[in-house]
Amino acid sequence: MPLIEIKNLGKTYYDEATTTALTSVSFNVDKGEFMAIMGPSGSGKSTLLHILGLLDKPTSGEYLFGGRNVGEYSGGEIAEFRNKKIGFIFQMFNLLRRTTVLENVKLPLLYSAVDRRYWDDMAKRAIESVGLGQRINHEPAQLSGGEQQRVAIARAIINNPEVIFADEPTGNLDSKSGGQVMSIIDSLHAEGRTIILITHETYTAEYAQRIIRLKDGEIESDEKVKSRRHADGHEFFK
Amino acid sequence: MQFRDSFKTAILGLKVNKGRSTLTILGIVIGITAIMLVVSLGKGAQDLILSQVQAVGSKTIAIVPGRQPKGITDVFSTFTDSLKEKDLTALENKTNAPHLAKIMPVVFGSQAVSYASQTYRPTIFGSTALFSEIYNVYPAKGRLFTGEETQSYANVAVIGSKVEKELFEGQESLGENVRINGKSFRVIGVFEKKGQVSFVNFDDVIIVPYTTAQQYVFGIKYFNRIVAEADNESNVDQTVADIKATLRNSHGITDPSKDDFFVETQAQAMQMVGSITDVLTIFLAAIAAISLLVGGVGIMNIMLVSVTERTREIGLRKAVGATDGNILAQFLLESVLLTAIGGAVGIVLGTLMSFGAVLALSKFANLKWSFIFPTSAAAAGLLVSALVGLVFGLYPARQASKKSPIEALRYE
Repeated sequence: MPLIEIKNLGKTYYDEATTTALTSVSFNVDKGEFMAIMGPSGSGKSTLLHILGLLDKPTSGEYLFGGRNVGEYSGGEIAEFRNKKIGFIFQMFNLLRRTTVLENVKLPLLYSAVDRRYWDDMAKRAIESVGLGQRINHEPAQLSGGEQQRVAIARAIINNPEVIFADEPTGNLDSKSGGQVMSIIDSLHAEGRTIILITHETYTAEYAQRIIRLKDGEIESDEKVKSRRHADGHEFFK
Repeated sequence: MQFRDSFKTAILGLKVNKGRSTLTILGIVIGITAIMLVVSLGKGAQDLILSQVQAVGSKTIAIVPGRQPKGITDVFSTFTDSLKEKDLTALENKTNAPHLAKIMPVVFGSQAVSYASQTYRPTIFGSTALFSEIYNVYPAKGRLFTGEETQSYANVAVIGSKVEKELFEGQESLGENVRINGKSFRVIGVFEKKGQVSFVNFDDVIIVPYTTAQQYVFGIKYFNRIVAEADNESNVDQTVADIKATLRNSHGITDPSKDDFFVETQAQAMQMVGSITDVLTIFLAAIAAISLLVGGVGIMNIMLVSVTERTREIGLRKAVGATDGNILAQFLLESVLLTAIGGAVGIVLGTLMSFGAVLALSKFANLKWSFIFPTSAAAAGLLVSALVGLVFGLYPARQASKKSPIEALRYE
């Protein structure tokens, strides 16, 4: 059974003008798969990611996660899903300012049922796993863009989620920092996590096993990556 | 999410905008300070007035000529001449008022008094020697006048310490003659320094036999008051009834609504003073409370700005698992914390200011004004300020909790 099944997913915004972001999209994602979604801006890829991460609701179609229809989730179940099942990595990092790395990474634990005695250890482990053990008490303003994104990754994995959603994670980074971030994401996949990545760079997308290309709210192509790019000589996971 | 974490989150939110948080709570601080000040000083004033009333003793009964005034404008109805010598005689009769232990007539007024080249204008009281017992004020030197001296219209006077100072300027006053209204009076005693008791400054009076006062000082045949004392506190009510019956009989009155006198007890006086000062305090505190309303609107305004500014933060929190309730609690707690801190600061500030005011009053106005910390007002102030935060924080907090995470994360 696939981990994620979406059937005829559509999203239309009714603002001043009616905009259709997604017409009818269907695909499955298996557990442990690393998938990239590509497409030009306005193709609906961000909308699709937000729906998959339960940040947004589709206007038509069905979304099953682990065989369950998430459209039936209550508000509390949606929050719990975001907290435990998934981790988000954003292009803009979205760290809380004037808040230390440690506190930023602990943020999801605040909304979880995890006993607070374990919070610090969990957060430290996550921070060390992205190679920022020395930066634990720094605030975001003291960190480089690449370091901030690694803090965001640590925050995304703290609750050991099944799926990581990454929305243009390298979009604001130079190529060196971007490479570091991608190798961390690659190793998260190697640990068995499902990764869904949005990017408009083919170079970045080729870390994935499979690429879906969207155009005007529809799937243009869905194909396996023949020669995957791999993080070589990753400095954080030895 | 535990309360502890919500609390920490709220504190952090306030810390990030320290300057703004401080300005925001100013309205609440001022409001609570004003309320504390008004209530504390009001209680102090009440105590001061009550202590004056109480100084006379709870067995004391005052008989006042005229109708009981029905309001402030009705005050002139008290200036009548209905209490005369025959009333005194009737009341002294034990069969009329068996529990009446002491009784003395009082006439008073302000008159110029002169000695050598000095002139002074104290309050002149005409009464009997019981005056000392009832008001608990005795001569420090010399003596009081006797019953015989009262009977014989003697020209003797007991003077207050301030009167002595003004007229004699440190010279011996006993045995000297002072002139009141052209008539010569021999000083036979000087009162101890006593200050204000029951609204009379006993340092600033001259007491003479009431007979002499009526005849030579004021030229009247009636009394301004008759002051009596029951033998026992529990007999006050009975004695009041006896006095009324005796005086109605003496004045030929059958309809109580046509009484040309009224009787006041200490209990009544204290109750009246208490209720007047209470009403005044509540009224002033209510005016001060308006500033809390204004402060509350300020809080709401700033919280709305804060919610807009932190749209991305709200989006992020929701994306990592915060429920609408978590966000609502966070912002509500922030505004409640903000106003509660304002309330606490106001309580401290109000206490300090009223303490300062009391110091100034007792030092410069020479009043025995005591400082009172109004515990109930402080508790109510803290509660009300927290409530203001709750009420005025609710709308912004709801706005925050209703934000869609997508809109919020997209917000620049």
